[in-house]
Amino acid sequence: MAMTEHASKQYDLDLGSIRSRVLAMGGLVESQIRRAIDALTTGNLVLTQEVIEADHRVNAMEVELDGDCSQLIVRRQPAAGDLRMIFAIMKTVTDLERIGDEAQKIARMAKNIHERGGAQAPPVVEVRHAAEAAISMLRRTLDCFARLDCDGAAEVIRDDAGIDTEFRSILRQLITYMMEDPRTISTALEIVWIAKAIERIGDHAKNMAEYVIYIVKGTDVRHTKVAP
Amino acid sequence: MMSALETHVSELLATKAEARKLSFYYGDFRALKNITMPVHERKVTALIGPSGCGKSTFLRCFNRMHDLYPGNRYEGEIILQPDNANLLARDVDPIEVRMRIGMVFQKPNPFPKSVFENVAYGLRVRGESSRRRIEEKVEQALQDAALWEEVKNRLHQPAYNLSGGQQQRLCIARALATDPELLLFDEPTSALDPIATASIEELMHDLKERVTILIVTHNMQQAARVSDFTAYMYLGDLIEFGITDELFIKPKMKQTEDYITGRFG
Amino acid sequence: MAAANPVANPAQIRALIASHKRWDAIFALVGLAALMIGVLTFTALFVDMALDGFGRLSWDFFTNYPSRRPGQAGILSAWVGSTLVMFTTAFFAVPLGVAAGVYLEEYASKNWVTDIIEINITNLAGVPSIVYGLLALGLFVYQFGLGQSILAAGLTLALLILPVVIVATREAIRSIPQVIREGSYALGATQWQTVRYHILPYSSAGILTGIIIGMARAIGETAPIITIGALTFIAFLPPSPVQSEPPFLSFDWLMSPFTVMPIQMFNWTSRPEAAFHANAAAAGFVLVVMTLAMNGLAIWLRYRLRRKIKW
Repeated sequence: MAMTEHASKQYDLDLGSIRSRVLAMGGLVESQIRRAIDALTTGNLVLTQEVIEADHRVNAMEVELDGDCSQLIVRRQPAAGDLRMIFAIMKTVTDLERIGDEAQKIARMAKNIHERGGAQAPPVVEVRHAAEAAISMLRRTLDCFARLDCDGAAEVIRDDAGIDTEFRSILRQLITYMMEDPRTISTALEIVWIAKAIERIGDHAKNMAEYVIYIVKGTDVRHTKVAP
Repeated sequence: MMSALETHVSELLATKAEARKLSFYYGDFRALKNITMPVHERKVTALIGPSGCGKSTFLRCFNRMHDLYPGNRYEGEIILQPDNANLLARDVDPIEVRMRIGMVFQKPNPFPKSVFENVAYGLRVRGESSRRRIEEKVEQALQDAALWEEVKNRLHQPAYNLSGGQQQRLCIARALATDPELLLFDEPTSALDPIATASIEELMHDLKERVTILIVTHNMQQAARVSDFTAYMYLGDLIEFGITDELFIKPKMKQTEDYITGRFG
Repeated sequence: MAAANPVANPAQIRALIASHKRWDAIFALVGLAALMIGVLTFTALFVDMALDGFGRLSWDFFTNYPSRRPGQAGILSAWVGSTLVMFTTAFFAVPLGVAAGVYLEEYASKNWVTDIIEINITNLAGVPSIVYGLLALGLFVYQFGLGQSILAAGLTLALLILPVVIVATREAIRSIPQVIREGSYALGATQWQTVRYHILPYSSAGILTGIIIGMARAIGETAPIITIGALTFIAFLPPSPVQSEPPFLSFDWLMSPFTVMPIQMFNWTSRPEAAFHANAAAAGFVLVVMTLAMNGLAIWLRYRLRRKIKW
C-alpha cells in the first residue's frame, strides 16, 4: 500500500511521527522482555529492578500516543487507509502496553526466584527459547507494521501456535519437576507465570499482526480460523 | 466491482432510479462519461468528488435542469421506477420530470414572497386551486420539513425574514409539498452554519423513510454522516460506488482512497 | 523569500502614507469641483427660471387657454395635452417594451439574430428624437392617416421611449438571480408561470423606474412633436374621455389636435414681448417640477418595491 502524500504536509508529519513512536515503543517493549529474560537466566537482581521501574516509560508512551491519536482524529477526521491506520495504532499501543506489563511481570517473578536463590531446577532453557520466539514474533510484527507487510504479518499469526505448543510443553515439564521434588513447587509456579506471560506476549504480537492486515487490506482477520 | 456484501445489499434494495451509460455534454465538452449507477429507493445516496468532477452536473441531469440552457446534450438513460421511464427520452417533457423530482439548491433560494406562498407555489403550478387543500398541504410540508413550529405564526411574513437554516428548510418544504418521488440536494448546507447543517442532516435522515434522496456534497464527513451509499466522481467519471461505510473505511480504488484521505491534488 | 523583511521604519512609512494621502485629497477636490460645475449650473438655471416665472404662477395660469395678452395666457391646453399624450405613450410603450424585454431575456435563444436585435435596440435609444418625428410624420400622420392627433404624438413618443423601456426591463430581469428561476423551474413550472409569478413581480421595481425615466424624457420632447405638426396655439380642450351618457367612455380625444408643454414654451419664447418670456419661464418651471416629480415617483416606487425583495 504505497501512499502518496497528503495535501496537508502537517498531516503527513503528524501521522509519520505517531507511526515512528509506535515503533519506538515497540523497541522499548522488546528490550524490556529481553532484559527481563536475561535477568531470569543470569539472576541479575539490579536488572530485574530496572525492568520493573522502566515499565512506567512504556505506560507513558501509551498515554502520549493515545492522546496524539485522538488529537489527530479530531483535527483530520482520517478516512479509509488513514482511519484504519489510526484505529490499528490505538489498538497496537494497547497491546504493546500489555506486553510491557508482561515483561514487568517476568522481571518480578525472576526477582522472586533469585531472591529465594533457586533457578537451577526448572526448565529455564526452554523458557528462554519460548521467549526468543515471542521476541522474534514481536520484532517481525513491528517490521511488518513499519513496511505494511501483509505476508509477514500472516506468518507471525501462524507462528503464534508454536509458542502455545511450547507453553504446554513447559507446563508438562514443570509438572514433572514439581512431582519429583515438591521443594521446587514455589519456583515452578513462578516459572509457570513467566511462561504464561511469554505465551501472552505471543498473543499480543499476533493481535498486532492482525491489525497490520486490517490496515493494509481492510479485512478483519481476528477470531477467524484461516489466516490469509 | 462490488463486494459480495454490496451485491447482496443491492439485490435486496429496490432501485428508484438508475443512470445507464449516461454521458453529458456542455457543447463539445464531455462533462459526464458513461456513468452507470443506481439510486436506491428510500436511501440517501451521496455524490462526492473534487470541484469540477461533474457531481452537480450529474445531479442536475435527474431533473433535466440542463434543458434550461442551450447547447447541452445527454446521452444514455436515466430510468425512473416504478414506471421504468427514461427521463432523458426526447418525448419526455422536462416539466413532467421536474414534477416528479424535487430539488433543493446550494444557497437557500426562497422566492421573495411569504412563507406560505413559497410552499404553496408548487401546488399552484400544478393547478391546485382549493384554498383548503393548499393550506393542508402547506402545513403538512412544513411539518415534514420540521419548520412548522417555528413559522406557524408568521406564515404570511416574507420568507427572507427567516434565518439561513430556516430558509433552507423552507426550500425543502417547498419541494416536499408536491410529494416528489426523488429529492435532489445540491450541496444544501454549504451556505449554513454547523447547527443549521445538523438540523438539515437530521431532517434528511427522517425524510428518507418516505423519499429517495440524492445529495451532492463537498463535505466528505457530511456524506459519511447522512448517506447510505456514496459515489466518488472524478473528471466526469464515476470512480467508485458503494455502501458508504465501506467506501469510507475501505475504498476499493486508490483514487477514492487518495481523495477521502486528503491526498488529492 | 530570499532576504529577510526590511526593518520597518515608522517615520518613513508615515511619510509615505502622507504623500499617498495627498493624492486622495487632490482627487477629492477635483471631483467635488467637477460635481459642483454641473449641479450649480443647473441650480442657477432653475433658480433664474423660477424667479422669472414665479410671478406668473397662479391658479389662472393653469386654467387659462393661451391668449394674445400675456397676462391672461395660461397653460391649460398644454398640460392637458401633455398628460393625455403621456397617457397614450405609456399605454403603448409599457406593454410593448415589457413584453419585448421579457421575450428577449427569458424566451429568445441566444444566437446572432438576438445579438443583432440587442445591438439595434441599444442604438435606437441613441437615435435623435427628430428622426422619430420624421418617421412618425410619414408613417402615422400620412400613411395611417392619424393626422396631427394625440394618438399620433403618443405613438411617436412611445416609439421613442420603447428602447429605454426594453433596456430597463432587461436590466431589471437580469438582476434576478438565476437560482430563483431554477427554483421555479425545479418545481415543474413552465416559462410563462415563471415569468408571471416571479420574473415580472420581482423586476417590476426596475421596470417601473425605467418606464418613468423614459416618460420623463418623453414629456420634455419637442422636436418630434413639432415634426408631426402639433399646433402651437390651441384654445380648446380635446373631447373628454368620460361622457355623461352611455357608453360613458369616449376615445374621440385620441384624434383631437393638441399642444404640449414644451411647444407652448417654445411658442412663448419666440415672441418678442418680455411678458411672454415670463410665461415661458413659468411653464418651464412647471415642466421641470413635473419631470422632477416623475423622477421622485420613480425613486419612491423603487424603494417601496425593492424593500419587499431580497435575494
